[in-house]
Amino acid sequence: MNIEKYPLKSGEKLEVFEFVSEGPKGRITKIVQYAPTNYKGLYNLGFGDKNAETGFIDDIAISNNGDSEKVLATVVATLYAFTDKHKEALIYATGSTKSRTRLYRMGITKYIDEALSDFYVWGEINDDWEEFRKDVEYLGFFVQRKTN
Amino acid sequence: MNIKDLKSKKTPIVVIDNSLDFFNDKVLFPEKLEKANTMLRKIGLPKLKNSCS
Repeated sequence: MNIEKYPLKSGEKLEVFEFVSEGPKGRITKIVQYAPTNYKGLYNLGFGDKNAETGFIDDIAISNNGDSEKVLATVVATLYAFTDKHKEALIYATGSTKSRTRLYRMGITKYIDEALSDFYVWGEINDDWEEFRKDVEYLGFFVQRKTN
Repeated sequence: MNIKDLKSKKTPIVVIDNSLDFFNDKVLFPEKLEKANTMLRKIGLPKLKNSCS
């Protein structure tokens, strides 16, 4: 994926990542967390803005910093870094709002052809899973790294 | 590995910042985690492809 990305920082466990979005609204710190769920080996992908002054983390905010493509590419990059370290991990992602979920779907659609060489991707629809198809409105997404 | 290889590598270079370990074991997005656990209860996992999983 040769789209420009932001430099990433992470803790030792590679479960929490941070990067800084830069645009007309200034510098906005973004946080990505892979949090363990009740199912062993399944992690939830959380993504939001960190308030530099208060440390408050907001996954509803729409920062409109003019760099959504670069931000999305950076989040996808964390998926590679995370699954490089946690090779057996399964990842679930959904948006905090319908529009955010739609944004995720558009992002996945954009990268799906390339992503499919490294990941299996499913979409959540009608209380079931199906292999990800473009132009279908999903409630959530499930990702598994392919083993080589 | 040269610069061209680095640029085309899918796995990004990640700088380790131990201050981020502060967030380990903290749930930063509790509502999303709850959504994930609800999904698990309702529909479970898709049929996984890798035989090791």
